[in-house]
Amino acid sequence: MADPAVTLPAGAGAVGREALGPSGPKPRHVFSRRNIFLYGTLFVMAVYYLLPLYVMVVTSLKGMPEIRLGNIFAPPLEITFEPWVKAWATACTGLNCDGLSRGFWNSVRITVPSVLLSIAIASVNGYALANWRFKGADTFFVILIVGAFIPYQVMIYPIVIILREIGLYGSLSGLVIVHSIFGMPILTLLFRNYFASMPEELFRAARVDGAGFWGIFLRIMAPMSLPIFVVAIILQVTGIWNDFLFGVVYTRPDTYPMTVQLNNIVNSVQGVKEYNVNMAATILTGLVPLIVYFISGKLFVRGIAAGAVKG
Amino acid sequence: MGMTAANGTSVSIQDLSLHFGSVSVLQTLNLDVAEGEFIVLLGPSGCGKSTLLNCIAGLLDISDGRIFIKGKNVTWEEPKDRGIGMVFQSYALYPQMTVEKNLSFGLRVAGVPKDEIAKRIARAAEILQIEPLLQRKPAALSGGQRQRVAIGRALVRDVDVFLFDEPLSNLDAKLRAELRVEIKLLHRNLQNTMIYVTHDQIEAMTLADRIAVMKGGVIQQLDAPQTIYNRPVNRFVAGFLGSPAMNFLEGELSAGASPVFKTDGVAVPLERYAFDGTERPTGACVLGIRPEHIAFGDAAKSMPFSASGSVEIVEPMGSDTLVWTKLGGRNLSFRVEAERTLQSGDPVQFGFDPARASLFDAATGNRL
Repeated sequence: MADPAVTLPAGAGAVGREALGPSGPKPRHVFSRRNIFLYGTLFVMAVYYLLPLYVMVVTSLKGMPEIRLGNIFAPPLEITFEPWVKAWATACTGLNCDGLSRGFWNSVRITVPSVLLSIAIASVNGYALANWRFKGADTFFVILIVGAFIPYQVMIYPIVIILREIGLYGSLSGLVIVHSIFGMPILTLLFRNYFASMPEELFRAARVDGAGFWGIFLRIMAPMSLPIFVVAIILQVTGIWNDFLFGVVYTRPDTYPMTVQLNNIVNSVQGVKEYNVNMAATILTGLVPLIVYFISGKLFVRGIAAGAVKG
Repeated sequence: MGMTAANGTSVSIQDLSLHFGSVSVLQTLNLDVAEGEFIVLLGPSGCGKSTLLNCIAGLLDISDGRIFIKGKNVTWEEPKDRGIGMVFQSYALYPQMTVEKNLSFGLRVAGVPKDEIAKRIARAAEILQIEPLLQRKPAALSGGQRQRVAIGRALVRDVDVFLFDEPLSNLDAKLRAELRVEIKLLHRNLQNTMIYVTHDQIEAMTLADRIAVMKGGVIQQLDAPQTIYNRPVNRFVAGFLGSPAMNFLEGELSAGASPVFKTDGVAVPLERYAFDGTERPTGACVLGIRPEHIAFGDAAKSMPFSASGSVEIVEPMGSDTLVWTKLGGRNLSFRVEAERTLQSGDPVQFGFDPARASLFDAATGNRL
């Protein structure tokens, strides 16, 4: 190219600058090997995960004759919302023929109190464990964590007996209690780690200012912990909404949550398999966790990172 | 000891011990702080100075002993009932509250009437000149402003005793010097008792009425800054205070009517040295002399002890220059005016008055 001299003669101008070699930001090429590889991989993965969703949406908008043609990837020739209406309002499960709507409201009545109750208790647990080193705190914490590793199946039958004895078996409040208890270990761990990562001097300053156990929690710690509360809400809402096992064990057909009802619709052995209704029902059931993720995805990742660092 | 308002004891710590399991952090510690006194707890990290402060504040449960504040036994009292205000190193401001809410939090918790709260905040804000910041959140403040608010939080509570836990350590050097003066002014105006923890000897020297130098959970020396500086009780205190550090020469102390310190061909006459006891010790000892107490050039000749050598290296520090030479085979530093232009290898004459030196027992490190 130009003169390879390194020293720049006075008044050499742009040509002289060129001669000095690279300067300023390094030029980036859009179609570099790195970019093609990176975005290519991302695209393939996205298609892989989105394809089933596409098939579900497309199938749910087709009529049965069109489905029987067998072109599962083809877009609907004639869009119909009939399957969605049927899935929501008239599909039959057992004796009830009011669709998924009954299960939806049952799930709401299970999820909302379970989430609130478990987070309320676990946040106080975590705060007490992190900031008030009471006697036996470590032992308590170990027991709680061990509890998280015991398989659920071991506890199902004993809990059935306990709920029966206190008269809550088959009721929604019984299931709420079960969900709250099983959410406790992981949520307490989450909150404890978050509160432990807060500067201890803040806690001490509040004590010097005269705030007590609840004062510090409600007026200092909780308002500072919005991210971790959001994470806990997401974890619990999706976890409890998606639960099938506890729902089917601890409730009766009248009080089945949406997931159990979905199973009963999809797996019914009598009559024709209505694929479009099944697809619509499945999407409807998955809609709540899906919306939660879309709204709060960013916060979720941030909170998990904040809560999980310290052990 | 330079104390004017010494009319009673404000904080009294009696036989205080603290251990975590088998680790002893504080050992039967005794300390009396006079009313209106500014005490600095000084020591390296891990010496127990912050721990002691937290014990006084009631944030740590003690293992043994008693703590009195204003004549009241507060050993089992909650922090809020001890009549103390505390300022933390990391400021510890409540991030979700405005400056005003930060200041008033303690008062609101205590149920102080609204107009009284407003009055006290106005006074504190005026003293600390933070009026324009009252509606800001801590995140929108600089380090110096945050520390002012943290001091204000202690101020509004109208307490007898202020506790400072390394309040200036997170600030840059310039701000630190500024706030140091402000804290000194604050003490002069308020006349409150203040207990101040730091590892910075300049802060300790400039602020304190008395300094308690701590090491290993034990107070080594409790005295006025000048006494600690000029007559340190042991080698640790001597070495910890002073920058540049004191020179130490190991040698022997010879017996006789006129004691002499001897090391590798050097003999320092000690007639003018004020020994601690009446007995004249002998044997292995360490002579300590501060760089600023060593005279140079013509002035050295009139000193009771003088020697000559050559310059090893020179460290210009702006206000003055530190010169390194050798005495009896050991490194020795002394200060000369910045105008002196000395080079490595230049011959130098230096000397000192043994009355300004310190002698320590080589084995125990105690002052002789």
